[in-house]
Parts: sequence; structure tokens; C-alpha cells
Amino acid sequence: MSALTLERIAKNYGEVETLKGIDIALESGEFLVLLGSSGCGKSTLLNIIAGLAEPTSGDVRIGDRSVVGVHPKDRDVAMVFQSYALYPNLTVARNIGFGLEMRHVPAAEREKAVREAAALLQIENLLDRKPAQLSGGQRQRVAIGRALVRRPKIFLFDEPLSNLDAKLRMEMRSELKRLHQMLKTTVVYVTHDQIEAMTLATRIAVMRNGVIEQLDRPEAIYNRPATLYVATFVGAPPMNLLSATTTPEGLSIAGLETPLALRHGLEAGRPVTLGIRPEALGLAARETALAFHAELAELTGPELVVTGTVGGQKLVASLPPASGVSPGDRATLFAAPEAFHLFDPATGLRLNRDR
Amino acid sequence: MERQSLARKIALHAAALLLAAVILAPLVWLFVMSISPPADLAAKPLRWWPEAVDFSRYRLLLSTVENSAGAAFLAALRNSLLVAGTATIAAVLLAIPAGWAVSRTPSIGWSLGLIIGTYMLPPVALAVPLYMALAHFGLLNNVFSLALVYLTILAPFTTWLMKSGFDTIPRDIEAAAMMDGAGLFATLRIVTLPLAMPVVATSALFAFLLAWDEFFYALLFTADQRAKTLTVAIADLAGGRVSDYGLIATAGVLAALPPVLVGLFMQRALISGLTNGGVKG
Repeated sequence: MSALTLERIAKNYGEVETLKGIDIALESGEFLVLLGSSGCGKSTLLNIIAGLAEPTSGDVRIGDRSVVGVHPKDRDVAMVFQSYALYPNLTVARNIGFGLEMRHVPAAEREKAVREAAALLQIENLLDRKPAQLSGGQRQRVAIGRALVRRPKIFLFDEPLSNLDAKLRMEMRSELKRLHQMLKTTVVYVTHDQIEAMTLATRIAVMRNGVIEQLDRPEAIYNRPATLYVATFVGAPPMNLLSATTTPEGLSIAGLETPLALRHGLEAGRPVTLGIRPEALGLAARETALAFHAELAELTGPELVVTGTVGGQKLVASLPPASGVSPGDRATLFAAPEAFHLFDPATGLRLNRDR
Repeated sequence: MERQSLARKIALHAAALLLAAVILAPLVWLFVMSISPPADLAAKPLRWWPEAVDFSRYRLLLSTVENSAGAAFLAALRNSLLVAGTATIAAVLLAIPAGWAVSRTPSIGWSLGLIIGTYMLPPVALAVPLYMALAHFGLLNNVFSLALVYLTILAPFTTWLMKSGFDTIPRDIEAAAMMDGAGLFATLRIVTLPLAMPVVATSALFAFLLAWDEFFYALLFTADQRAKTLTVAIADLAGGRVSDYGLIATAGVLAALPPVLVGLFMQRALISGLTNGGVKG
């Protein structure tokens, strides 16, 4: 039985269609990340699951119960807000125990549950403080504790880490991963950060303009992006896109004289967009080689990010620092055949016949 | 800015002192007048500080002898407190739910706009209809009917203030409380209202001051000691054939005390920034 089922969810605000038919079925214990840039409808979808907004049409089922029209408090879901939304006038202990207090759980039991949650999040020493006396990371932990203590069927996270600085964000990310592995609860997590999505999710739904572009496991999103949008949204630096035309033997990249030998199984003479991840490129002459003219080299530490052109088209390659490519150099780049992604330039859909 | 030149500092302090002097000078003069013997007030050239300090007018106004100026003044003080207090409490109690509703439901914002619109009408325009209505219901010369009239002035104002106050409280906090299982009233009582306390205090203070200082309606709708408020009583002091400016000044000083006390009392509640820490930053 699915823990959460979304069926043909649509949401209109006046003329604006924010969500255009979302279908998701989530197994118990899954960590689903809704990934997309702002305005793609991911937060609206989360609010619909939470009950803070109602869908214009479609059905939301938690377990086997339809919850459309059910008050948020009766849905057995808990939410962690981007702004934390702690109650500033209450102590940390009361903040965490608020949900239980409102459900008339006896004080002793409540205190025990609060202590357990606080222990899990390592904030036991902060229970008597007010939110104003806490750092950003501590507030975040309190907000998570408030959700945790209720033991809900589904946890909802709305960009919970975006207000933290980079180092803290990484710590909290691992913390969330640890909590999920330990508690095995079902999570729906909204973010625009593809690293968060890749590291946390068991499945990612990449959203754009109110539709799901691809719903799959992180490695599939990364290795076999279904659309051009997914291909460029996930991965940093983003995937290189080159315009090319199919030939019987392979691909003719615009601006390059020698065609690229590649088995593609498509009819010849078809325009395609060729996608190659920067990190899939290496320095060597093999059968699928690209003549590259380097213009800019940036050392990030573990890798050397080289920006340049292939046949006049922009290309970025992440190379080992030892490769020593410097601006002005000419080099031959190669990538394994499975690293070439072909997309239809008009529809943006993936053309590769995946093995 | 941490680094300031000496000249800049001196200029800043001088400007602040000048501002304070300009604001305080009339008050100081009011007090000086209230303790000057009548002869000093009529003297030419004007005496800036009285020869002998004279507190007799305070005694006169605070005396409880029947039919004296003191009795009239004290009755007016009591009426003012009753009218301003009742109107303020009612205005705040009305403004909290109304302001919250408008703040959280932008689509009904027009209704507040409409009410604020009535604010633009000069009181003179409403005086006659209000008088006729009050006369019809036999409510003239009554502190509570005057409070009711004041409520029509205060409620739009406090509602508007409360709305802007609620606007600054993130809706996420209320959404969180809702998901935690708090009903509407529990959310308002435990979460929203404590955060809105500074605005509640500000609205109450300003409403009280507005009602305390109101003169026009009070003059029209009250007739004697049963309902006359301080502003009208002070005007009465000036209305006779001989005006004792010292007595008017004394009444002014005494009339200024209650709002000052209310202000001091509310000071703690007025300290804002209570929402700090609930949300990011």
C-alpha cells in the first residue's frame, strides 16, 4: 500500500495554472524530493499535501484515505517550514511539545517525548531557551524536533536548509539523512538545490511549470535525464549542450569537420542536441573525440574546470588538476559512448535508446 | 556609524537639544503659568519665573467641595477616564479580530478601505445626524453614548493599526500551529496575540489619546457634570467673563497627567521586536 498517492493534482490561481496534473505514488519509508526552480509549483504541491491549500482537482490519499478537504491537523502529517516558523514567545520545550499539548497528551508523557526528540537532535541543553536565543542551526533542529515528536505518517520539508550557511547546510543534510535512515519515515522534501536532492532522495521529482519532467531514482535522474531541462538542472557545472545532426555513422557536431562516431539508432540527417556532462569528459584521443580549444581554466581544488569551445560551441570540462590544461591550449577530449545524451531540440525529450 | 568627528557629534547633540527645547518649552511654560500668582501673569513686561510659587489653583481644582470649580473638574476627569477607557477597550477588542481577518484575507481588504474612507468625512458632517440619533434614543449627555460615538472614530483607526501589526507576523507561524493541531482561537490566543502585544499596546495608547483629546463631539453631546469631559470643562474655565489663565494652565497640567501615566505604563509592552527568533534571521 502506498503511503502517499497524488492523482492528477491540478491547482489554478485564477487564470494561472500552477499545477497541471501531478501523479505520484510514494511507498512507505521513501524520501521524495520535489526539485525545481522557484515558481515551478513544488511548494504549492507540498502545501496541498499538508492541507494548507486545496487542489482545484485531483485526489490526495494518505495511506488509503482521501484527505482532500480534511483539516491539516487531522492528516497525520508534520511540516518543517523554510522560515522555521517557531513560536517566538514559547520555550524550546513548549515549541517541540506544542503538537502534543494541542492534542491533550498528558504532561508527563509529553515531556518524555520532547526529551526523546531533543536527545535525538542533540538540543537537550536548549529546552528552556526561547527561539531568539538560538542560532540558525539550532532553530532548524527545534523545527525538526517539533515535527518529529508527533510521529506523523509523513514528514513535509519546505526548503528547510536554504536559510543556513554552506557549512551548516552540509551538516544538517547529513543529519537529515541519518534521521531518515534511523526512523524510516516517509518524507516529501522541497528544494531547489540539486545537491540536496541527489544526496537525500530515494526518488526525485524534477518539476517545471507545474508538471513533473522526470520522477526517478537520483542515479537515473543524473545518468539518464529524460528531458533537456532535467539534464541541465541537475549537475554542476551543468551539462554541455551542443547542436548536432545525425549521420549514418554517428553525429556531425555543428562547426566540427570530422563527425563523431557514435551508435545512436536514429535516422540520418536529424537535428539533435547533444548533451555531455563536464565530468564525463577526459583528455585522450579515442574514437569519440572532440577537438577542444581552451579559453579559461578554474581550479576548484579537486578538479580543474576548463571552459572553451568545440567547433565554435561553448563547452565546459571538469578535468583532473594534473592535466595542466591552460587557456589557449588545444586538446582532444573524449567521453565514453554512454556519456552522450541525445535530445530532440524541439521537444527537449531524450532520444537515446537506453540499454 | 562608529567613527564620527567631534564637530559632527557636537552638531548632532545640539540639534537634538534644540528639538527637545522646542517641544518642551510650551509644556514648561504651561507649568510655570500654573504656579504663578495672577499678578505675575498680567505683569508687563512678562515675568518668566514667578516671585512666589503658588499652588493654590491645584488645591482649588482638586477640592471636593460641592458646586465648586474643583467638583466640576473632578467630575470631568472621571467622565474623561470613563469615556476614553471604555472607548479604547471596546476599540481594541473590536480591532483584534477585525484586523486579523483583514490581514489574513486580503480579498476582504476593501471593507477596511471603505471604513477608513468614512474617516475622511469631517466630524461636522456627521454631527447633526449623530445628534439626532442620540436624541432619538435618549442617549445625549451620557458617558457611554459618548464612548460609543468615539468608538466609531477609534475602531477604524485601531483596526488599521492591528492589521499592519498582524501583517508583520509570518503566516507560516500560524500554519505551523494549525498543523500542530491548534484551533483558530488557540492559535490566536497562544501564538498570534502574544506576538501582536506591542501593536495592541500602541493601538490602545493612541486610541486613548485620541479619545482623551476629543473636544468637538464632547462639546455637542454633553450638557452637564454627568457627562462633560475634561476638554469641555477646560473650555468652560475659559468661557466666563474673567479668564484665569493660571487656572486653565493648571487644568491643562492635570489633564496631561493620565495620558502620561498610561504611556509610562505601556512602555514595556511597546518594546517591539518580540517576533525575533521565530523565523529566520
